[in-house]
Amino acid sequence: MEERIIEADIVVVGGGSAGSTAAIRARESLPRGRVVLIEKAHVKRSGAIAIGMDGLNNAVIPGHATPEQYVKEITMANDGIVNQRAVLAYAESSFAMIQELDRWGVKFQKTESGDFDVKQVHNNGRYVLPMPEGYDLKKILTRKIRREGVQIVNRLAATRVLLDGDRACGIIGVDVRTGEIGVVLARAVILCCGASGRLGLPASGYLYGTYENPSNAGDGYSMAYHAGAELTGIECFQINPLIKDYNGPACAYVTGPLGGHTVNALGNRFIRSDYWSGQMMLEFHRELHSENGPVYLKLTHLAPETIEEIERVLHRTERPSRGRFHLGRRQSYDENLVEMHVSEIGLCSGHSASGVWVNERGETTVPGLYAAGDMACVPHNYLLGALTYGKICATSALDFISRAGAPALDADQVAAERARLLAPLSRPDGIPHHQYEYKVRRLVNDYLQPPKTANRMNKGLEYFLRAKDELDEVGAAGAHDLMRVAECGFIRDCAEMAARASLYRTESRWGLYHHRLDFPEMNDDEWFVHVNLKKGPDGAMVLFKRPVGEYVVPMSRAELSGYRDLRVSERSPPLEPPTVHDGMAAPP
Amino acid sequence: MKSKKVEDREGFKAAQALTVGHAQTTRVYDVPVVVDLSKCITGCQICIDSCPVDCLAVNPETTKAHMKYDECWYCLACELDCPKDAITVKIPFLIR
Ligand SMILES: Cc1cc2nc3c(=O)[nH]c(=O)nc-3n(C[C@H](O)[C@H](O)[C@H](O)COP(=O)(O)OP(=O)(O)OC[C@H]3O[C@@H](n4cnc5c(N)ncnc54)[C@H](O)[C@@H]3O)c2cc1C
Ligand code: SF4
Ligand code: SF4
Repeated sequence: MEERIIEADIVVVGGGSAGSTAAIRARESLPRGRVVLIEKAHVKRSGAIAIGMDGLNNAVIPGHATPEQYVKEITMANDGIVNQRAVLAYAESSFAMIQELDRWGVKFQKTESGDFDVKQVHNNGRYVLPMPEGYDLKKILTRKIRREGVQIVNRLAATRVLLDGDRACGIIGVDVRTGEIGVVLARAVILCCGASGRLGLPASGYLYGTYENPSNAGDGYSMAYHAGAELTGIECFQINPLIKDYNGPACAYVTGPLGGHTVNALGNRFIRSDYWSGQMMLEFHRELHSENGPVYLKLTHLAPETIEEIERVLHRTERPSRGRFHLGRRQSYDENLVEMHVSEIGLCSGHSASGVWVNERGETTVPGLYAAGDMACVPHNYLLGALTYGKICATSALDFISRAGAPALDADQVAAERARLLAPLSRPDGIPHHQYEYKVRRLVNDYLQPPKTANRMNKGLEYFLRAKDELDEVGAAGAHDLMRVAECGFIRDCAEMAARASLYRTESRWGLYHHRLDFPEMNDDEWFVHVNLKKGPDGAMVLFKRPVGEYVVPMSRAELSGYRDLRVSERSPPLEPPTVHDGMAAPP
Repeated sequence: MKSKKVEDREGFKAAQALTVGHAQTTRVYDVPVVVDLSKCITGCQICIDSCPVDCLAVNPETTKAHMKYDECWYCLACELDCPKDAITVKIPFLIR
């Protein structure tokens, strides 16, 4: 069987938030060029914003905040370990992105005078811009992509970046409906594949009960890794405070500005700021495992009109099935507290800081390869960061292709990946992919869920290495399964990266995200550095330190510790080892 | 003390368990996405396109949409996009 080969100037992989603006921007500048957008799902309903989004979490809007204030806030929230240039590039260009979205028809909340109605959720500044009618966001972006003439390939799951020497020259993947192998030969590649959202196992035991859209299985992390790119901050896990069992946001950013807040079982507040940071998650975790747990989102004290307003947003946008989840348990916001929990781990720079190493131009360490959105390390970048960096990457890629020649396709690479991808079809009765995935993700919970210790993580690492061999036993009955088996590989790769990076950094940092019981203190003398990893020349993973670049927004030591005390009460219960998963049976 | 015979057998089966092939079972599972066959239009694929995790497909037996893979993210895209209001998404049982 021959593979389908498409030639392009720029290929964008992943048509979610970042991929949409990357493709739009690339086409705007290349009206006669070939911009191909590869999407594993269908662009009309793909990625984190499949059902829209209820707000921008990090809008830097003149009159409300300055780029410098924002860079400081994000630097503090990350205990100093940020590439400030990359954060600043976002902060400086994001307002233009908001104005563009506004022109495209995205509805932001405005005051009576027509100003953007920005709210405070972060510890210090005001950056949250509600989009109560944000359910149309995906439709608006999709319309724009089509209008610009981007060539869309839906249901093609990319699995590897193709290389010409050390330069990225395209991607290869599999059509999840037909099993046909697809190749895009391109002069530049922009990866926008979202988070590694299927890493830990939800406590419910349900594989697809994730916070992230399950189509984001860490594909981008793994593809960048195998292409030779550096990744960074992998040990700074994503852990979110979510509605227990439902595993979606509650959401403090919508309810906070309207008067909702987090309380313990006594009804008392215990954190000063509901903004999601590792430090906040540590306090959340402590409270949950203390005699004062569980932890709840409290809305019962709000006026009926306010509750209606909250329901209008939460039950229509982003994760609209929240409404039927609560109703199924005969619970409501006016009568019941919403029980919250600490999620399983993931990797995501949209919320935390794990991702492919990129600079302020969105360049990875591989020539011709760019990364944007949740999979690229620009800490706490969220939706607007993805949209803004999509554009930044496209601009950089356009510049690159104006200088670089046409790449050549290496038939051996294509043949090798084709064989790897299709192998599971030869064992249709092999281990089912969901059993493999369940096992790896359960082991992630057992050995990597913070607080972390070297003994546990080394044990986990042993299992993740064993899982590499076990992958050769997993079977596929058809094209859809081939995608799932490929994802099993991505998930395993991410688990190994998470274990190794966490073992390497022998200190604690970022609150719960990297809380090590065997190295409980933060150690700036040795560890005020990025921990990066990449595939070494012999194919083994190598880890190393990268110095934190000189700050473009200078900060004092006192300012750096601005997120270290988020607790309201003076008494902090000790941190207990985590309860590992509930031990539910694997789903069928 | 275990008899020699038992040990031999266990040793043999333990080794065999490492190399023996796979076996399958057949069983029908309850899935959370319910399509009303009287409303669903043959030939329409809208919900199948919408699903971000590709878990819907045409059921060849009915020619209507159905949930083929039990992998739903309870996002409601299929339900919201169906022009005939033929779909009801239930919260998957494990988290219901
Ligand atoms: C439930 C939820 C609520 C959130 N709420 C907010 C909020 O209120 N405000 C805010 O600012 N941010 C919020 N965020 C974060 C924000 O949505 C994300 O940071 C942002 O959308 C990430 O964009 P992205 O392009 O990186 O990823 P996505 O938009 O998820 O896009 C990734 C795309 O890549 C595709 N893909 C993945 N792998 C492959 C592959 N191998 N081949 C081809 N395609 C592939 C996926 O199908 C997907 O379409 C929320 C996120 C979630 C999940
Ligand atoms: S969208 Fe509705 S009518 Fe169309 S195939 Fe799906 S269920 Fe049937
Ligand atoms: S609710 Fe979402 S994930 Fe579930 S079947 Fe419908 S479109 Fe697919």
